[in-house]
Amino acid sequence: MARATKYHVKNLATKDAEATVIEVEALGEGRYAITLDGHRSELESLTLPHGTVSMIIDGQSHSVEFDEKGDEVDVLLNGQYTRFDVADERKLRLRAASAGFVVEGRQVVTAPMPGKIVKIFVKVGDEVTEGQAVAVVEAMKMENELKSPKAGKVTEIITREGATVENGAPLLVVE
Amino acid sequence: MARIKKVLVANRGEIAIRVMRTCKELGLATVAVYSEADRSALHTRFADEAYCVGPAASRESYLVIDNILEAAKKSGADAIHPGYGFLSENPKFVRACEKAGITFIGPPASAMDAMGEKTMARRNMIKAGVPVVPGTEAPFDNFEQARAFAGKIGFPVMLKAAGGGGGKGMRRVDRMEDLDSAWRTAKSEAMSAFGNDAVYMEKFLDQPHHIEIQVFGDMHGNVIHLNERECSAQRRNQKVVEETPSPILTPAMRAAMGEVAVKAAKAVNYVGAGTIEFLVDAHRNFYFLEMNTRLQVEHPVTEWVTGVDLVAWQIHVAQGGVLPLLEPIEPRGHSIEVRVYAEDPATNFMPSPGTIKYVRVPAGPNIRDDSGVFTGYRVPNFYDPMISKLSVWAPTRMEAILKMRRALDEYVLMGITTNLRYLRQIMLHPEFVKGEYDTGFLPREHQKLLGSEDPAVTRASMIAAAVRAHQITEKAQAHIAQAQQRSGGSSLSPWRTADRRQGSWKRG
Repeated sequence: MARATKYHVKNLATKDAEATVIEVEALGEGRYAITLDGHRSELESLTLPHGTVSMIIDGQSHSVEFDEKGDEVDVLLNGQYTRFDVADERKLRLRAASAGFVVEGRQVVTAPMPGKIVKIFVKVGDEVTEGQAVAVVEAMKMENELKSPKAGKVTEIITREGATVENGAPLLVVE
Repeated sequence: MARIKKVLVANRGEIAIRVMRTCKELGLATVAVYSEADRSALHTRFADEAYCVGPAASRESYLVIDNILEAAKKSGADAIHPGYGFLSENPKFVRACEKAGITFIGPPASAMDAMGEKTMARRNMIKAGVPVVPGTEAPFDNFEQARAFAGKIGFPVMLKAAGGGGGKGMRRVDRMEDLDSAWRTAKSEAMSAFGNDAVYMEKFLDQPHHIEIQVFGDMHGNVIHLNERECSAQRRNQKVVEETPSPILTPAMRAAMGEVAVKAAKAVNYVGAGTIEFLVDAHRNFYFLEMNTRLQVEHPVTEWVTGVDLVAWQIHVAQGGVLPLLEPIEPRGHSIEVRVYAEDPATNFMPSPGTIKYVRVPAGPNIRDDSGVFTGYRVPNFYDPMISKLSVWAPTRMEAILKMRRALDEYVLMGITTNLRYLRQIMLHPEFVKGEYDTGFLPREHQKLLGSEDPAVTRASMIAAAVRAHQITEKAQAHIAQAQQRSGGSSLSPWRTADRRQGSWKRG
């Protein structure tokens, strides 16, 4: 029988929350033993051809949809969407090893959706406050203001007014 | 007048499909027009014929009259249904259709002239003795005029696009300091939505109800009303939930508003489907807001409680037919519609275009889903973010709410962020359940409507996520074992291979 694997599952909607440790042990034929908070559950899983997963957890039947986005996964279960970060112990070690590369203080404002830059309110060297509007993006006929994520100085403007940008495109830098 | 045989629908998305469905039922041939971004769209494939009318931007495709008429000529369509939005309220388009000898399924250009430009509509209604919200007589020539007028009537005020409705180019302004930025964004939004950046101002009524009356006229001078729709649940001045009957209307008030709506439509010799929008204040006084000279997005709720196919009536009347009914219809039961948008309620309803990885719509008795999307569909960022209208019918309002909750629970839409959960929270909110919500309801209760998680569901979801991760690893390891058996050992680290497999193990 396979050894149980520990997964650290973090609910991304609840900021600063501790990851929950869930032990998963495969019993074969889509059956799993789960240990969470010292409570043991039985789970039976069936993946349907189009991707929906039917999971019966201790007799409770759930039709589950998953949408993986890198290490994160959106789970739709009983009408609730929840986004989790899931990591096993190997992944946690990898993350710890690469954690030194995070640059502090520098914040890049990115396009939250594909669209057109209608207006840029700031120029390089401007001091901005947290939440101050820095640009306007138009998509789907609606104009949306982008706000600075922190107080600081605008050090770089990567885009220009009138530019068409993709989702996630860097627009400007606040330090 | 000659019978219509082939209908070109000058629109896209759900409304194009909704119109074509009735056409098909009536045995009429259907023609779609599509932009380059809509080659794969459902409406393009749903019609009998389809013609490209230009690039993605609607100003270069769906809004170009010549391109639409060229498609009509090529296809031999004898009638055009404009849907809502785009060219539906453009009298120039109506005249161009007339000139080309094509029946426009909608009101005459003269009625659009009288009602389309919002300040002129107000003047016409005052003349006809219909009560209106206090405001400007004409659009402003410049910002100084707007500032002076706001100073005169006092804040809060509403800046509104004179060229069209639908919440586009509309801003509530509470303080003089905010007028400048509201002025600029309202004008630029009005320009891109209607090709006309004229704006005017109305006094902002505090937390009114937004109730509209469906009217219908024929070419023989008959005009009737088909009851009201309660449209007070709005975010960013756009409707999110609509229902009929309105929970606050008494039969006497319905009759009074219906009578005024018919009077307003008759004053402009209205023909076809139209909607008179009213604001109703705390004392239950009602004021004319505007007339929408087209089929409304939320028309399904009216269809549910009256049993009328409004599109079929539009076609019948456009052929010169007499209205099938000349007396008001008592509403039967209750209907609610919600608009499913590709947007994130948690980030101020930011649109979230992207690819729909999987969609499964609710079903069962008395449920209707009007949408133009499918699994694998990429929601383009050029058009409105509405992806579906879900409507239900039940004998009573409470049963309709319960049915809508159930339907929303069934709705599966993966890959893009939607407002489905937010809609469900609205259905659960006591204010909505009581039926005493006004236009301030959604903004006021925003935090609460974002919803909190159900701990039991979160716990099950968490377990599901862990098992899913385990299954992905199992699958990756099985692949490695297979690969190693085939090659007798590989130079690649098995874990690197596993990572690649994990990355590509997606919904297939």
